[in-house]
Amino acid sequence: MGRIIEEIYVWRLPVRLYHWINALCTVALFVTGLYIAAPLFNPPLGEAVWYKGMSWWRYLHFASAFIFVANFLFRMYWAVFGGDKYGRFGGFRPWSPAWWGKPFLEQVESYLFLRSEEPNYVGHNPVAALAHFLFIFCGSSFMIFSGLAMYGENNPGGFNSVWFGWMIPLFGSSYTLHWAHHLMAWIFPIYLIMHLYAVFRHDVVDRTSVTSSIVTGYKHKVEEEPV
Amino acid sequence: MQSNQTFADLFRAGGVSRRDFLKFCSLTSVYLGLSPSMVPSIVEAMEKKVRTPVIWLHGLECTCCSESFIRSSHPTIEDLLFNMISLDYDDVLSATAGHQLEDVRRKTMKDYKGKYILAVEGNVSTKDDGVYCMVGGDSFLNTIKETAADAAAIIAWGACASFGCVQNAQPNPSGAAPISDIIKDKPIVKVPGCPPISEVMTGVVTHFHTFGTLPELDRFGRPKAFYNTRIHDKCYRRAFFEAGMFVRSFDDEATRKGWCLYKMGCKGPTTYNSCSKIQWNGGTSFPIGSGHPCIGCSEPNFWDKGPFYTRLAEVPFLGSDSNADKIGVIAVGAAAAGAAAHAAVTAVKKAKAGSEDNDKA
Repeated sequence: MGRIIEEIYVWRLPVRLYHWINALCTVALFVTGLYIAAPLFNPPLGEAVWYKGMSWWRYLHFASAFIFVANFLFRMYWAVFGGDKYGRFGGFRPWSPAWWGKPFLEQVESYLFLRSEEPNYVGHNPVAALAHFLFIFCGSSFMIFSGLAMYGENNPGGFNSVWFGWMIPLFGSSYTLHWAHHLMAWIFPIYLIMHLYAVFRHDVVDRTSVTSSIVTGYKHKVEEEPV
Repeated sequence: MQSNQTFADLFRAGGVSRRDFLKFCSLTSVYLGLSPSMVPSIVEAMEKKVRTPVIWLHGLECTCCSESFIRSSHPTIEDLLFNMISLDYDDVLSATAGHQLEDVRRKTMKDYKGKYILAVEGNVSTKDDGVYCMVGGDSFLNTIKETAADAAAIIAWGACASFGCVQNAQPNPSGAAPISDIIKDKPIVKVPGCPPISEVMTGVVTHFHTFGTLPELDRFGRPKAFYNTRIHDKCYRRAFFEAGMFVRSFDDEATRKGWCLYKMGCKGPTTYNSCSKIQWNGGTSFPIGSGHPCIGCSEPNFWDKGPFYTRLAEVPFLGSDSNADKIGVIAVGAAAAGAAAHAAVTAVKKAKAGSEDNDKA
């Protein structure tokens, strides 16, 4: 085995906390959301007042949604004001043609096996940054806005209905918005597969301890293995 | 009957003395919580306000809105027609027909320029100059533009006039368009439903007649008084929904016990209407009350969001009907397959690179 030549503190505590709260919430939201759309269990016969079958699933969905929203806002705050070299938006400029240039293309080529050299990044590489922007930033934003718009339907004229209710006419009707929310939920399992695969692969290929880094915060540089 | 009668005229014709009329105005001010100084303005309004002239046009429609309208119980249709509005033109309900009736429409448009209400039932065929809907020898497209020009406000009756209904469902062969797509410069109240509840219809007319303004509208242009909450919010089966007690097929025990129809495709949770509050036919029942899931007939484009008996809409995807879950599972499967293939290529490349290194060594 190659010797560890450098230990780098990459993911600071706020980033790691965000990551795990977000992961747990996303799983909870996906599972409870699917259940709400197609409730599986029927309680035994009896009075409706004895059971809370659907209420609990909906409650779990809403509760984890509010934790998810708070966590997301916290991460946005940290990205802008945290002064965290690896946890900020800093280098991500998809509106600038320069950003799509050499580093991005090199990373894409590397993923497509068109280059033998793996570009090495301590934080997110440009492709990862783009994936996080699309799936986590845009995806979560859409789920939050559409979710709060639908939550606002429970209380017409209330805060959520006033501030997020415009999503309903934008999507044509409440039903269409529910449908879009349901469909978009599937980007999270897709993201999870890609994310886990990319992490494990980088760990195997680059041996940077990226998998454990989200628990410990540390990534490693290792000496080239003598063959 | 004189077409420009005021309330005072009506009272006089009904044998009510001036003294009793003034008493009525004072009492009204008390009911409305107004100060005694407001009594003269009430008297003035009652003496000068003529019944609201209404022109009711029928486009591409099935007349179910009219059928619903004439069954109103609060207020009754007689009360509405004889005491509140003057239904000057309605090609379905009028006694006259042909040129005579068309002349009445033009006369009302001239006499009450900018003051009459245009009520539209059905929507407008726009394809091929609107030849798919011809009324009174002209295309409905021309008639509605002509009649809307001098209207004070427009009431779009039903799902057709509000959002399009079955006529503009895919593939919309006649180019049917809701009123708001044709008339852009007039206030429009949308009263969706297939048909709308009769009391909702008469309620909207009564509001305009009483206050002279349109009722408060929501983001879709529907009166908030009737379309502010979902069927689900006031549904008497809501307790079964919260308890997770669902009908699973139309012949099970749960059906007999009247449990929630959510799993049978009930669109109540996404449908804004008053069915679960006001109900139908003078409060007799409503679809869910009769054991049928709500089909969401007052929601935009509800025909294209079927089937009626599943919760999740089917959409065309990869050449066949799919729903969000099928699309999601296919996409997740594709991502997993992609990851596996990528892993395989990585492994092969690595093995190759390893053997090359070994060869060099």
